Amino acid sequence: MGFGDLKSASGLKVLNDFLSDRSYIEGYVPSQADVAVFDVLSAPPPADLRHALRWYNHIKSYQNQKNSLPGVKKPLGQYGPAGVPDTTSGPAPAAAKDDDDDDIDLFGSDEEEDTEATKLKEQRLAEYAAKKAKKPALIAKSSLLLDVKPWDDETDMAKLEECVRSIEMDGLVWGQSKLVPVGYGIKKLQISCVVEDDKVGTDILEEKITAFEDFVQSMDVAAFNKI
Amino acid sequence: MGGASTFQPITLVSDWRSSPSVTNMALRELASLEKYLGLRKPNKYSTQGDKKTPVLQNNAAPPLLGLVTIACHLVKEAKRPELLGDSAESRAVVQQWLEYRVTKVDNCSKEDIKIILKDLNLYLHDRVFLAGNRFTVADVLMYYGLHPLIVDLTVQEKEQFTNVSRWFDHIQHHPGVRHHLPPVAVLRNRIYTSRHH
Repeated sequence: MGFGDLKSASGLKVLNDFLSDRSYIEGYVPSQADVAVFDVLSAPPPADLRHALRWYNHIKSYQNQKNSLPGVKKPLGQYGPAGVPDTTSGPAPAAAKDDDDDDIDLFGSDEEEDTEATKLKEQRLAEYAAKKAKKPALIAKSSLLLDVKPWDDETDMAKLEECVRSIEMDGLVWGQSKLVPVGYGIKKLQISCVVEDDKVGTDILEEKITAFEDFVQSMDVAAFNKI
Repeated sequence: MGGASTFQPITLVSDWRSSPSVTNMALRELASLEKYLGLRKPNKYSTQGDKKTPVLQNNAAPPLLGLVTIACHLVKEAKRPELLGDSAESRAVVQQWLEYRVTKVDNCSKEDIKIILKDLNLYLHDRVFLAGNRFTVADVLMYYGLHPLIVDLTVQEKEQFTNVSRWFDHIQHHPGVRHHLPPVAVLRNRIYTSRHH
């Protein structure tokens, strides 16, 4: 992760691409993530990198409040698109896998996250990630509930389900499914499966499911329980 | 229809704009706005005329008529004047977009949609919010108004209007805004935030 060298043109370009469909470095409100990246830039990005410039001018307007923005500053290599080699100098945090998005609960409440709660959450996430990093001795299985979303309400859901069930992998067993309406006549396919953790990862599953581009718009893991 | 916001799923009709259920959209928007503002007691609204313009009867004061008028009143009632703009310029811009919403976006024709999105996309190329650098009620009402248009866009169109898509995704994820509207996958695979990017 990271943007490469933000003091160079190539790093700025990575930043620009990253921000083409985002308003902030992380999540949907300004946070310490934005402050961290902003502070590295010595000058506004050039006018041709218009997404980076837009972001820069916007974050600049928060200069007075920068210390009170939510979140915790992390090393630069923790932000940005996946797949970019982390060229930042500085110690990598031990075992702590970061959670990029300040997850804002779409389906519920308007509760505000205060910095205390976010810190606690990140602490707990770091602990969970450390636990997860240890290999289990027994065959660990998990029960997943996947939401598969079609393009629109005209998509043939029966065919979509057929395609999903046609995915065969060692360690993957499909379970029940049902169609859940999400509004405007569109239904999503909610299908459960049991996977062996070592053999099947949600990334691979996602790749395989979204490969059916004609039917599947996106896939998401709605629930993930260890058995 | 009272001010209590019970969610009624809308059945998709061939032209959403002429469906009677849409005329209640203004009231549902106001109910959602009340929720966003944290107004505890939902107001009781009525409607007027065949366009079903929302009306808010305000005790002894004369009634307030129209989505924008009532929305601005609610913002003041909730003591959130910054949502109307934090400078003279942004206040003017907020009003401009509110007016744009009810005059140009509502009941627009299919041909108009492309023009609206093109103009908006150009406007948003160097902006995060519609007015100034802060979230305002202009963003909320434009989001409500554009939602049915965005829902109907193809993937290619959403990628074509990149700035609109970015802004729309931002507003629909803004804490407390999205109540009566389903989330729209504007950007590939980013409808839910549980994924790591």
